[in-house]
Amino acid sequence: MKNQDTMRLWQYRLSRVGLYFLVALILIWTLAPFTWLFITSISTQAKLNAIPIQWLPNPPTFEHYVAMFDVNNETSLLFIAAMRNSILVATTTTFICLLFGVPAAYSLSRFVFPARNIIVMAMLATRLLPTIALVVPFYIIIVGYIDPVFKMFDTPHNLIILYSSFIIGLVVWIMRGFFTAIPRDLEEQAMVDGATRLQALWYIILPLSFPGLVTTGLLAFLLSWDEFLLALVFSRTPAAFTMPYFVFVVGSSQYYQSPAAVAAGGFLAALPPVILALIFQERLIGGLTDGAVKG
Amino acid sequence: MLKRLYDYFVHPLTQIEFRVNRSDRLFVFLSLAPSILITMVVVFLPLFYALYLSFNNAEVVVIGGKGGVQTEWIGLSNYFYFLQDKAFWQGVRVTTYFTMVSLAVELTLGIIVALVLNQEFFGRGLVRALLILPWAVPTVVNARLWGLIYEPQSYGAMNGLFQLLGLTTPDNAINFLTPVPIFQDVPILGQLMGWIGSTSAINWIILADTWKVIPVVALLVLAGLQSIPLDLYEAAKVDGANNWQLFWSITLPMLRPILLVILVFRTMELFRVFDILYILMAYTIPVVGIRTFQETFVFGLFGRGSAIAFLIGLFILLIALVYINLISLEDE
Repeated sequence: MKNQDTMRLWQYRLSRVGLYFLVALILIWTLAPFTWLFITSISTQAKLNAIPIQWLPNPPTFEHYVAMFDVNNETSLLFIAAMRNSILVATTTTFICLLFGVPAAYSLSRFVFPARNIIVMAMLATRLLPTIALVVPFYIIIVGYIDPVFKMFDTPHNLIILYSSFIIGLVVWIMRGFFTAIPRDLEEQAMVDGATRLQALWYIILPLSFPGLVTTGLLAFLLSWDEFLLALVFSRTPAAFTMPYFVFVVGSSQYYQSPAAVAAGGFLAALPPVILALIFQERLIGGLTDGAVKG
Repeated sequence: MLKRLYDYFVHPLTQIEFRVNRSDRLFVFLSLAPSILITMVVVFLPLFYALYLSFNNAEVVVIGGKGGVQTEWIGLSNYFYFLQDKAFWQGVRVTTYFTMVSLAVELTLGIIVALVLNQEFFGRGLVRALLILPWAVPTVVNARLWGLIYEPQSYGAMNGLFQLLGLTTPDNAINFLTPVPIFQDVPILGQLMGWIGSTSAINWIILADTWKVIPVVALLVLAGLQSIPLDLYEAAKVDGANNWQLFWSITLPMLRPILLVILVFRTMELFRVFDILYILMAYTIPVVGIRTFQETFVFGLFGRGSAIAFLIGLFILLIALVYINLISLEDE
């Protein structure tokens, strides 16, 4: 009997060791590549070219980060412009999508009217349609027809309009889910007491769906921050290009300096979304499960 | 399927009755108008314009800052061109390979990671929080990051890892992102891989691309795992089922809905892959997204570009219909 108990104990200990081993493996696999990006960014050229490979920079150097913010440096001007454009485009897109998407989602969750389901499905379809299928007609319409009349090519407002068109569908889709979960009685009661529909939405429904708004806004922000194809096709100069475009040109054109400079640019481009995602991790996963947005 | 489509799209049109108060009608109209306008003008209109362009030889002419479009109707020629183009079919095969292998890797490893995270252990909350990191890294940065790791010199990280494991020596570094077919020395498999276009490069890129996605797949599956009622397992254990049987007869069937959603969504995302291949391989791996971009913006053949673009759009919409069908099934 006693023998069997010790057996069990050992079996248990063994399975615990195995579990922690697997967890460590998962953690290393998840974090190592991003860590390598950071290590590369604080390395000297001598460290990067050392054979056999030198894993840790000794001594580390932050010159590439300093260079990014040094206005006498050509790359730094591109970086600052890209950061400014990215912040501008992503926040404006998020704002527009919430402003127009939230009332639409509310109506779609509360009223029954002809073509309601078609609208819901069309909204979902806009999120699912690949950019690559639309970038060709976009280019012809914008460069061939709109640009001669109104400057669109290579401007931030062009990107804002294009991004909004994709992301608004996502906002409508997710927020509709949140609104449907809120009982109708709440605003109906308020309206019996004399509130208008808009007041009921503003004072009662929106505060209740605040977590949903945060999640949706974050997803919209992250999606527009991440977008590359449209930025690649529709921007040429620092007037419009965003961080993904910057990370692309800094590693593959006349701006190329060194792997460490590319890594520093990449790390800075990844920093805002990574920090936001780590802070709001739980909400984002909830949002992804509800909206099944971005595999 | 047809019945369901009818229920969703046609049936509501036949219902003339509004269940909206007269006073609310203006509200409904005003709240929906901007979103519908934006999606109509910016998404659906261009899609139909792409269809029109695909029947044309289209060219964008810019003279002195003034742009203009020249079109010439050529019927289905653009489509026939691709039907006969061997390189295009090669591209379709590579895209399919990329999509299917990535899906298999993402789902298998995603489920395994989720099962591990579903156990009790010290620091679980922290590990779970950190897992979202790769998902948040922008695709372009992900491409650059793996480009650095796959550096074809002995000082590259992956080469360093190979040396650490004793697989190679510092004198012969591996060039991972090379377009050489895998399993070349194995008779039939080598030929098959050559036909598909499964090169060393595409397989290493699959690894890089799945790195970004596996953790979030795992977190979604984990949410699914935690919604499975525990008494199901208790009952099965009483009946003497082992862990393996529990997984196949309870866990997997209960995860079916979330796995289907992930499957369909990822298929759509993978099929349109562009960023990472464009940045790391330029035009050497001709997946359909890259080919569209090349025909249009490198060769300036807008009609041909529109033809593939429209085909991709159509294909993705078909998958989307499957997806819509799935979620409406779940609603019931």
